[in-house]
Amino acid sequence: MKALALIGALVCVHGAFWWALRFGGPDGALSPDAALSRYLGIGALFVLPGIVVQAMNATTRALYARGDLELLFSSPVSARAVLGARALAIAANAIAWFAILLLPLANVNALAGHLHWLAIYPALLACGLFGAAIGVALSLAFFAALGPRRARLVSQIAAAIIGASFMLFVQGYASAPGGARAALMKAMQPEGAAGALDWRLLWSLPVRAAAGDIPALALWMTIALAFFVITPFALGDRFASAAVASAGAPSPSARMRKTRAFSGSLGATMRAKERRLVLRDPWLISQIMLQIVYMLPISFILWRNGGVTGSPGIAFTPLIVVVGAQLAGSLTWLALSGEDAPDLLRAAPIATSRIERYKIQAVLTPIAALLAAPIGVLAFAAPWAALWAALFALGAGVSTALLNLWRQSPSPRGMMLRRHSQSKIVGMLEHLLAIVWAIGAAMAVMGFWSAVVPVLLACLILWLSRSRPRRVSFPASA
Amino acid sequence: MVESDANAGPPALVLRDLRKAFAKTAVDGLNLVVRAGELYALLGPNGAGKTTTLRMVAGLLPADSGAIEVFGVDARRRPIEAKRLIAWLPDEPLLYDKLDPLEYLEFVAGLWGAEPRRARELADELLETLGLWEHRRERCEGFSRGMKQKLALAGALVHEPRLLMLDEPLTGLDAAAARQVKDLLVSRVRQGATIILTTHILEVAERLADRIGVIQRGRLIAEGTLGELRGAGSDEAASLEAIFLALIAQGERAA
Repeated sequence: MKALALIGALVCVHGAFWWALRFGGPDGALSPDAALSRYLGIGALFVLPGIVVQAMNATTRALYARGDLELLFSSPVSARAVLGARALAIAANAIAWFAILLLPLANVNALAGHLHWLAIYPALLACGLFGAAIGVALSLAFFAALGPRRARLVSQIAAAIIGASFMLFVQGYASAPGGARAALMKAMQPEGAAGALDWRLLWSLPVRAAAGDIPALALWMTIALAFFVITPFALGDRFASAAVASAGAPSPSARMRKTRAFSGSLGATMRAKERRLVLRDPWLISQIMLQIVYMLPISFILWRNGGVTGSPGIAFTPLIVVVGAQLAGSLTWLALSGEDAPDLLRAAPIATSRIERYKIQAVLTPIAALLAAPIGVLAFAAPWAALWAALFALGAGVSTALLNLWRQSPSPRGMMLRRHSQSKIVGMLEHLLAIVWAIGAAMAVMGFWSAVVPVLLACLILWLSRSRPRRVSFPASA
Repeated sequence: MVESDANAGPPALVLRDLRKAFAKTAVDGLNLVVRAGELYALLGPNGAGKTTTLRMVAGLLPADSGAIEVFGVDARRRPIEAKRLIAWLPDEPLLYDKLDPLEYLEFVAGLWGAEPRRARELADELLETLGLWEHRRERCEGFSRGMKQKLALAGALVHEPRLLMLDEPLTGLDAAAARQVKDLLVSRVRQGATIILTTHILEVAERLADRIGVIQRGRLIAEGTLGELRGAGSDEAASLEAIFLALIAQGERAA
């Protein structure tokens, strides 16, 4: 069944790319020319930081969550072999994420007769190996420089900023004066007589490799493979000692505060517990930081020149909606599925539905507060767009929250974060809902009544996804 | 047929013909009465159905058939009402690593709707008694197994349950901590609480329990005070361990 769903999804993605290129693609963009290089350059800016971020997060989680590391390091397997295997798994996982989008694009173009697009396969593989090596090395560098207590938070915030670097670059470029942009482009173009080791040529190496330039592809693969092989050899022992050091790191103690009375309200108690669990989890904070880092330059540009399209509502409303949907989805998933003491809640004299309601409230309230700032800024430039942004962000947030309520996959929170064990299907449905709500928001801002169609589509997706988890309780449990 | 104690109101727990099967039968028509205000030890070999029985009482597993009454409340029909009277302490502590002990106790007290001022006083008292006061603002993630077990016990007591069910409460505790826990349990029983505990440490049952029940293959095969159990055998001075092993061997032969 899962295999059929996967095949179906792949056929759909291929079909969508074919349709987009056939009817919406720029003329001549399929051949290896400057336009293609530009698209691939943007792609590389997106893919490489993404892989580095995944590697940094995975390395940090491995060091602190430990999991099977104690077993591995107590066995006669060398630390280099352990790090090598871990890095390979990180690379494979990261490549798989980007392959879902990029490889169908390459396939469709190759089927159209442009075989050089198949170079994306080895180029992506090399990106995965290179990015994983850099990510592992950066995490261990933070650990060595800052020590076990500070390294986790700093490393995850750095990962968030690297992950947002694509967005920061694009937004920074868009907001720069015309002269500065031209100067930057000129600096990035290698001159005709540049040597093979000219930094500008090296900078564009992944792009030229993906565009089908065979010498560039061979060089890119060699460099990536060399980095990937050298990293475990050079850093294996450091990885082992970091894992040992992280085990002995004292856990941060809460501030001694004045003695206060217990809260008498169940809702307040539940919200306080969820808030504390989220705020004290560095990985989660880094994910929220990532969303904020994405939004900061947008708010800046909006304030400065009214947006790149001249119509800030159309540009930013969908973005606010997507961020709201994604944050609500991931935090609700954690709050509902990542319960460390499920039997405590089941044994308590409270209906499960009431506990779930409090948990959803607990995660949606801070998200609403977080989105209030960009919506408030948008209200100055386009009041109607701000209203639509608020309404559609609310709809999107509630819908991804409901999806995670109906599709729970219970397991201890630490285990979930270590494995990132959200169901792939739920993850895809979450993305789909975010996109559908964002399209609806953009249509509403443009004044189209047909905005109701995406809203109905989102409702249909939710209705089809509805399935209550099996609850273990008394038969007559309320 | 089980009978209630007419002088002390309804029994703390009554199980009638309770049944539960997974791939094979776990609880097989179990009848059991635990009187209010007693410390009852439920003993049995691994897989005898002790934990399954207590999980059904706590509302964590649905029974296939039979009746469960907690202080006269039908727990299968009115689960929320029954749960208000119960605390359940499994052998694996139910804690949140990112919370400190006071935050955890506040959360548990809130779940059971305990009166906040009283719960706060009791939380302080429990932390003092169990030797956790100095750690009240440290996150549980750094705690040893014994500290976690003691905090989970404090959580079970902070809402003042009338029936406390403990599954292997002394697992992972050192001698001093085990002594603290045993003293606390005895003092709770003196204050009127009812405690049911399962344990493989037979010395604990021998010294603490008012009555002992032995369960095998999901059925109660013997029950009584230590003296009554000795009397049922041939050796009046036998240890609980000897009585227990003899009962289990007898049950195996009969099966």
